[in-house]
Amino acid sequence: MHWRNLRHRTAQTILAIAAIAVAVALPVVLLSVGGGVYSHELASVQDAGFSISVDSAADHGIADAHSLARQIDAISGVAAASPILSVAVVLFTANGTGIPVLAEGVIPTAFSATQSSAERALLPPSFTLGDPDDTIHFANGTYGGPASGQVLLSTPLLQTLNLSSGASATLSPTTNRSAGVGVTVVGSFGLPPGLLGPSALFVALMPLSQLQSLVGLGRSTTGALLDDADSVQVAVVPALAGNPAAVARITAEVQALVPYYSVTSLTQQTSEIRAAQAVITGFYVGLSSVGLVVSLLFLVIILMRRVEQERSAIGIQRAIGVPAWRVSRGLLLEAEALTLCGGLSGVAGGILVISLLARWGSPTVSEIAGLATYDPVTLAGLVLGLLLMGLVASLLPVRRALNLPLPEVLR
Amino acid sequence: MTSEPTVRLESVRRVYHAGGPDEVRALDGVSLTIAPGEYLSVEGPSGSGKTTLLNLLGLLDVPTEGRMLWRGTPVERLGERDRTRLRRTGIGFIFQRFYLLPTLTALENVALPLLAGGLPARERETRARMLLAQVGLADRERSFPHQLSGGEEQRVAIARALANGPQLLLADEPTGELDSTRAGQVLDLLEAAHRDTGAAVVVVTHNPTVASRADRHLVMRDGRVVSDTAGR
Repeated sequence: MHWRNLRHRTAQTILAIAAIAVAVALPVVLLSVGGGVYSHELASVQDAGFSISVDSAADHGIADAHSLARQIDAISGVAAASPILSVAVVLFTANGTGIPVLAEGVIPTAFSATQSSAERALLPPSFTLGDPDDTIHFANGTYGGPASGQVLLSTPLLQTLNLSSGASATLSPTTNRSAGVGVTVVGSFGLPPGLLGPSALFVALMPLSQLQSLVGLGRSTTGALLDDADSVQVAVVPALAGNPAAVARITAEVQALVPYYSVTSLTQQTSEIRAAQAVITGFYVGLSSVGLVVSLLFLVIILMRRVEQERSAIGIQRAIGVPAWRVSRGLLLEAEALTLCGGLSGVAGGILVISLLARWGSPTVSEIAGLATYDPVTLAGLVLGLLLMGLVASLLPVRRALNLPLPEVLR
Repeated sequence: MTSEPTVRLESVRRVYHAGGPDEVRALDGVSLTIAPGEYLSVEGPSGSGKTTLLNLLGLLDVPTEGRMLWRGTPVERLGERDRTRLRRTGIGFIFQRFYLLPTLTALENVALPLLAGGLPARERETRARMLLAQVGLADRERSFPHQLSGGEEQRVAIARALANGPQLLLADEPTGELDSTRAGQVLDLLEAAHRDTGAAVVVVTHNPTVASRADRHLVMRDGRVVSDTAGR
């Protein structure tokens, strides 16, 4: 009977379902895509090969990086400490013009040990850059040892420059080629995918001390030791990596070594990401609530209109003794049927929109949409919330229906 | 047949907008007793209070003043729920405009009071089918109201009114929208129902032909019963 009532007023039924579906599709899209992006971020943090990061507020602000790495290495439970320096330089090929690249100075063995397994797989099997521990050229802070001059270029850079392994090039801190040093390309490495692709496509990996020397961050012009880096990534031994207490203990010991730097564990970062996700999810829910409230009001109007249109039918039911609860149930079931159909259509519509964006959107939109995750609990909660909304929406129409003046209605 | 009146009205008034400038005395001191099995017609000009009287008899409305007894029970003591139950179990309504539910078939319309009464589905269907057969519409049970003629709709409405075996059948201009042939068929059915069920019947009409079928004739004017005569 109730389905027939819905069919009887097709236009109203379709309008109500469409309004609810649109209101539901919005949170489905926001929560699924937002949740997916955060899950991705969380996974990338949780899957990182290191557990603790030492950072400075200033650019290249970590001083005595080699020494600090050795001190951190000595802490019980630390597997490796990898100082990293990132500086923009210019790469000149033998015959070509200069091309800006991001040079990353690393200690190869430590760098490799602090990468996730996926990232490590992007490096060549033998990743030494001719100075595996960066001790030869660093030479205890004298920077007087022989430089290997080996660099590893990112695959896009290698392909763009049409270089092959063994090629010679020049790396310069400025656009002046003569200020640079000669290097040998010994291979390439793949770029780990970021949220929106790799942050830089043109990257050169080289021993830390050689990059420091190149850009003047090894020793100052007066000869004082700088040994600057941007950060130090610290990996703990596998047995302790999943133990928050152990990671916290190591973090505290590192912090004690360098009270003037920021030392954060990825556990903290995870918490921060989760907190950020909670805030943004709350924002999405708030935003979606506006749409849902509008659709609730629309549903109330539709149901009130139905009561007015069906005054006689309701009146005759009351006259022949159909109990109030049965009349109420009829309206309630209609409201619930509308919200259920609208809710399911909205969920399906939201998923469809995300699929279309993932397939046909611009590269950025497509990549973000591709990260969407569909949490069954959230979707079920949304539909249950809608059913509750349908119940609320039917209260006023039910009250109106039960208070229709029968003598007037049946005149 | 019990000797207790089906309905008894004692100095009943029904006033709308009481105390206001547009106060209307729809019924003004009506006293009336309807015995089981009586067949009454109620005539009178528009605004004389016929429909208000019918609404009170059908427990769709309550008196402003006076006393009304439904089979000995004072109506003013009953709440909406009890009046609904009494309407369901004791009163059948037939309206000029039929008031069939458009989304239900003829069979479902007839079964509606039985559904409200909590009868099992199979029994509901059997009884509704039997009632439709009684009014000559056995072959139209699957038809929706819009597929029926006016006469057929009114016959379905009569079957629905009889569904719960009422003690009182109330008909408000039951032939008002029918031609004379179909009106005659409907009145024959009403008479047969009166005869077969022993229910009291009250027919409100403007039509002397309809009124002539009754055994007792009330005439109303300005909210009062001005004439109460017996005989066909």
